[in-house]
Amino acid sequence: MAQAGKGRLNYRCPSCFMRDLDIDMFYDKEKKEYYCIRCQYTGSEEDVLAKNEMVRTRYGAMHTRYTKFDFD
Amino acid sequence: MSEFILNVIHRPEMVPEYSATVTGHGKEEDIGDKKLLTESLDIFKTQQRLAHENGLKVTIHMTYAALFNKEAVEIAKQDHETYGDEIALSLLGLPCEEFREKYKTKDFCIWMFSMEDKKRIVDDVFGKFRDTFGFYPESTGSYYMDADLTNYIKETYPSVKCAVATCWEEGPKAYHTCNNSWYTLFDGGPWAPWIPSKQNTHAPAADESEDSGIVAIPHLSRDLLACYDGNGSNFGTHPQNVLRGMIYDTKTWEFPYLYNLIDQYRAQEKYNNGYAYNMMFVGPGWMNKMGRWEAPYELLLKSYSDGCKYYGDLKKEGKLTDMTMSEFADYYRKKKTYTEPECALWRDILYGSDKQVFWYTDPYMRAGVSMDQGGAVFDLRPYAAKLKWEVGIGTKHVQDASYPFLIQEKYRAGYFTHYAGEGTIRSAKLSYEGEEVDLCLCRTKAHFSQEGNTRILTLDPVTIEFSDLTLTLQTKEYFEEGSGSIKIERTILNMSSPGASVELNEYMTACYGTTEYPEDMSGILLRCEGAEEKTICYEYRCREESLMKASAVSAVIPAIETKVSMTASDTALGYIKEGYAFSPMFTLGYKKKITEKERFATWLRLEKAD
Repeated sequence: MAQAGKGRLNYRCPSCFMRDLDIDMFYDKEKKEYYCIRCQYTGSEEDVLAKNEMVRTRYGAMHTRYTKFDFD
Repeated sequence: MSEFILNVIHRPEMVPEYSATVTGHGKEEDIGDKKLLTESLDIFKTQQRLAHENGLKVTIHMTYAALFNKEAVEIAKQDHETYGDEIALSLLGLPCEEFREKYKTKDFCIWMFSMEDKKRIVDDVFGKFRDTFGFYPESTGSYYMDADLTNYIKETYPSVKCAVATCWEEGPKAYHTCNNSWYTLFDGGPWAPWIPSKQNTHAPAADESEDSGIVAIPHLSRDLLACYDGNGSNFGTHPQNVLRGMIYDTKTWEFPYLYNLIDQYRAQEKYNNGYAYNMMFVGPGWMNKMGRWEAPYELLLKSYSDGCKYYGDLKKEGKLTDMTMSEFADYYRKKKTYTEPECALWRDILYGSDKQVFWYTDPYMRAGVSMDQGGAVFDLRPYAAKLKWEVGIGTKHVQDASYPFLIQEKYRAGYFTHYAGEGTIRSAKLSYEGEEVDLCLCRTKAHFSQEGNTRILTLDPVTIEFSDLTLTLQTKEYFEEGSGSIKIERTILNMSSPGASVELNEYMTACYGTTEYPEDMSGILLRCEGAEEKTICYEYRCREESLMKASAVSAVIPAIETKVSMTASDTALGYIKEGYAFSPMFTLGYKKKITEKERFATWLRLEKAD
């Protein structure tokens, strides 16, 4: 089995991101999957992107444009 | 008239941070890689173009490496002539072949070097700058500038009047986010420009004798709520921070959060005598042609382009004034007095919670107040101590440059703890017939006003429900300029049983530290002051003392040369509480029975301990 490398982009581990950890994943070309060196996450590019959308659920107002910043 | 000032800073970094882990992955290190140099310069040129196309002036922070690059020098000279950009000198971006050869180290953070090396490097870099441009710079900076470094620079190169001197709340949280490999540990500073004291960079100067001689600006303008509980590098006016936080729509590539952040900063002029500030500073590593994190280059470029356009449009509308750093230093010196505080009334603009916090900084303290916890003080830094805290190799703090806290609700819990013990918080409890309610559980909102030199937070009244009694209570918090104290006033507006009385327990649970981990509390001296003095010298023995009509209750924390005390507006029972090993805290407080329409105030005061 050859060594892993970086993928097309620096995908971070979505599972670690959810606990405020930025960790680049490595790409296993034989299994065609990204994997995290710190936790147990593995997944295809498609899965990473889907999990990244889950990450965004914490940002309940991500699409909101605010015009008022006080409560007066 | 209100003014919103912007500093845009670019640094031509010849070997960008992250290049080794991104561009260079799978290759042997080559710090002189020509391809890398060309790409870095291209990114710098793109950044300059985007700022200028949007009518924005730039402060060009030449790095040591850039001073050896003829093209970078030529661009800086040209853009100074054409656009009025300031040519300044960064103490970031030291790594290059010349630096490695001379200093035989891979260290690159100026504040972490020994004092001897700091001086050598500063002299070298400033000398090289003068040889290149024929003058010494007026602005400089790094992610952090320790006081000894700043003092040396000001003494040796008096032309320097402005510096990037800290990143707000970049400490253990940023360290953790980077898998415990990013050693920028400097929590506890101001979020907006200030005049650092000679003793400690974080703590603003109280007068001319303490003035370090520079105006400090923060590295980026950061979200004052999101950064406190998360990775600071996701929530700042660095457009690519917002991408790092994944705070964009993957389909449309839109990121309204960045504009909300900028606009919320603009709104701070209401609390700061008509002045608000922003800073944008993006190193070239963040516009890597290979993309960064999940974002392809096209999105990185779009984010910077859109960010410049937003600021540029504000300028065109007459809502923004762009300045170079040295211009800003002159402006700030005219605008601000030493004791004038920086205030921020800040709401959540990302998570949809409507949480609201207030931040206050002056030469004596930095305090954070949570309206979601009834106006509790959740963060407190005793700047009054002006703690001398040397950092770098050869000192007691090689990396840890944070200003110590007395209260930090994330690192030492706040209201909520697991199983046993207490967390750090300044709040109050109300008791009635065996029931107790902490104001930390009363969610409310605040309104800002100013009377003379006192900034006032008036909180919307909250309702407290006991089984047999309901009451409405209002909190007002007063920050008197130059006093080193916070007055917290509670008023019982009404009660369901007008003749009833409740016990009000005003308390502060505190400790000290700079990280999540406990420090040695031994030797902290707790005192009830008054006709009779009662003391506890901290030994983790869970002792308590109290004194009726105490004139003050206090704690002296030798390790951070700080005295914190509470006093009361009326006769009350003052008390002190020692903690224990599982709860390494101390508590100061006053208890008093109060009735309808009654008002009771306490002052929390910070002083330097002898």
